Amino acid sequence: MRRGFPARLLTRPAGSLALLSALAVPGGLYAQAHDMHGGHAMHGATMEGGWIMPPMDPTMPMLPGLETAVPPVSAWLPGEGHDPSHFPEARPSTPVDVPDGGVLELEVTTVRKRIAGREYLMYGYNGQIPGPLIRAPRGGTIQVRVTNRIPMETTIHWHGIRLDQEYDGVPGMPHPPIAPGESFTYHVRVPDTGVFWYHPHVREDIQQDLGLHANLVVHDPEAPAAPVNREEVLVLDDLLVADDGRLIPWGQEAPTHAFMGRFGTVMLVNGATDHRLEVRPGEVVRFYLTNVANARTFNVRFGDAAVKLVGSDQGPMEHQVMVPSVVIGPSERYVVDVHFPEAGEVEISNTIQAIDHFRGLFFPEVTPLATVVVGDGGAAPAGNGVVTGVAQGADDHGAAFRTLSSDADVEADRARLREHFTRAPDHTLVATMRHRNLPNAIVLSMEIDTLYVPPMEWNDAMPEMNWLSTGKQVEWILREEETGREGGEIDWDFRVGDLVKIRVFNDPRSFHPMNHPVHIHGQRFLVVARDGVVQENLVWKDTAIVPTGSTMDLLVEMSNPGEWMVHCHIAEHLHTGMHFHFSVAER
Amino acid sequence: MGAVSAGVLLLLTLVAPVPAEAVATLEPEGEAIPFCTAVDDPDYYRIPLATTRLVAGTGQTTGEAGLVFPAASPFGIAVTPDGSYDYRVRFDVRRLPARSRGVFVAWVTTPEIDRVRRIGPLDGGRAEGPVEWNKFLVVVTMEPPDSPAAAPVDDQAMEGMDAPGGVAGSTPPWTGPVVLRGMSRSGRMHTMAGHGPFEQERCAKYGFS
Repeated sequence: MRRGFPARLLTRPAGSLALLSALAVPGGLYAQAHDMHGGHAMHGATMEGGWIMPPMDPTMPMLPGLETAVPPVSAWLPGEGHDPSHFPEARPSTPVDVPDGGVLELEVTTVRKRIAGREYLMYGYNGQIPGPLIRAPRGGTIQVRVTNRIPMETTIHWHGIRLDQEYDGVPGMPHPPIAPGESFTYHVRVPDTGVFWYHPHVREDIQQDLGLHANLVVHDPEAPAAPVNREEVLVLDDLLVADDGRLIPWGQEAPTHAFMGRFGTVMLVNGATDHRLEVRPGEVVRFYLTNVANARTFNVRFGDAAVKLVGSDQGPMEHQVMVPSVVIGPSERYVVDVHFPEAGEVEISNTIQAIDHFRGLFFPEVTPLATVVVGDGGAAPAGNGVVTGVAQGADDHGAAFRTLSSDADVEADRARLREHFTRAPDHTLVATMRHRNLPNAIVLSMEIDTLYVPPMEWNDAMPEMNWLSTGKQVEWILREEETGREGGEIDWDFRVGDLVKIRVFNDPRSFHPMNHPVHIHGQRFLVVARDGVVQENLVWKDTAIVPTGSTMDLLVEMSNPGEWMVHCHIAEHLHTGMHFHFSVAER
Repeated sequence: MGAVSAGVLLLLTLVAPVPAEAVATLEPEGEAIPFCTAVDDPDYYRIPLATTRLVAGTGQTTGEAGLVFPAASPFGIAVTPDGSYDYRVRFDVRRLPARSRGVFVAWVTTPEIDRVRRIGPLDGGRAEGPVEWNKFLVVVTMEPPDSPAAAPVDDQAMEGMDAPGGVAGSTPPWTGPVVLRGMSRSGRMHTMAGHGPFEQERCAKYGFS
């Protein structure tokens, strides 16, 4: 049985006068003399409808009247009613080479996954979390035959790849999703080198969160080996569990956490909480980072090690640059070289300035992600690179590491496209949202809370409000400024060869402003200007963070015909309306 | 909230009115620095500067400090290693007195004023420099022309100091009266205790007065 909000808190009174009246009357709605911390007793308890309240700082008061409220959707957990022991244990990701014309069988199954000493039922590709690391040669086409053995429809979206649109994995465009027990074969053409990834485009908030994600790396077999000793993939993720370790259920009819997306409480790297890598002193390691989290943007530090940024979503940076940390939004990828000159342990961490909205404070938060053990003893020779498959030697790459080179192709792109950097945009999108039927306590809190909204939400600073907001009440919107059209009403038609400048403005005046990682399917783009400032270091992208209050100018190279989606890659924002599609016709 | 208020109070008590006298600096009304931060909400990354009226001739002085992220940052947003926002702050001050006896200098400081960074003397009403704090005040002071604080900034990275008038290290202290001041938008964020649905929750419980 499902239960929603208490009726008296279900809707905001019509008009602010009614609202003020409610507040002004002694003994009114919020003049409650009870302990506002008492509701914390609900943490860890199973609530009505099978809900479990997410963890929350017990020193913070709870929203009055909502201490026992649950999201107004049905609670859903994977594998309920099944004996977990019937499912196989998830295995770590393994690389698989698929040559041009090759076929890969991929099964989507339920697996048992052990995380921090506790077992969960999750989903895997071929029994792996993350799924198999697919390596394919540039210019080839691979076939991936996907069989769905989970109890919900699924698809695979080949994120960032300029493939034929019919295999892009968006349900109904044109192929229907893969029903349970059915199969579908994707023909994945891979024209570009880069670090891509694949994941479902059906209820990403559930399926991707539960383990359906993995990298697809496209390499150039003729390319020289990079000056590194070792390659390492870092798939960054988080999982939301209660204080007692149980999974917080997902919303069945619509996502929960519609405000901010579902931030996890347990950090995962390559599916583990204790990922470790052993290297030898003096080694330079190339890390390939992918953020597969639903909502979290990471600020990744490699201790005090020197970090050189060499690439992102769709290829090399225009200029290699040393960076103190790597800011990576959901679905973005970055490639960095890190030098480990001396023996010891280096902690890879998420290092942020979190916000305590209730107290109105920033506070530092450092969360370990993984450990690099630098020592002579344990580290085996790297062998073939896990990403490129190229043999990695024991050469000293220290000098090459200290050299910052530029990429001639991207520099040529800058020269070729420079005239577009400062011209007026062809289209402007405004990111905003609307809501309905939210409890008064949430509406009031948000109005106070949004006196200041940060450029980035690094943490879930309002776990109760966020959890209680669902796709039934919250609608995220991409609005075309010129026409006022929203979402599916937007009607953009382009031709192959068009260079389209799209300005995205993240409106800070919306009810709940938030950063959005904007993703464009099937094409590639450059972020040419940020807040009116032309960027000094270009890289081809498919996803870019637009901070709250900011404006990003994206120069999209329309190179791939078809119907392509634009959306926010916070899974809960995607599934609460923040998407549309445009067409690109053959010239 | 309490700390911020204390900081502003401290700022105001640090200064004394200074009469305008005939000297050098001619500050023409400058054009606003063209911000493209927001299409139609310039408020979000702009900090209005309010005059203190402590210096003669500055009663009509106005301006703003705008925040942008450095173009050199390769990421969607620029942060320091500890995750603080890494802004460039651009002062744009208008209607400064045509004549004054000092040099107008831009500063940023934490709300507690325990850390101060000199951005530098205004040039045509403008100055620009880094700020990597999440909550901060922006300040324009008038410094004696021959004071180290009035000198051009050579290396903004070295312009931090512990406290105004305190231990300055290699950087000049702030000594002059405050002419203009403002607060980062994040300064509006304060405890929700005592407000709205939390009106029954006492501020003091959370360390605020």
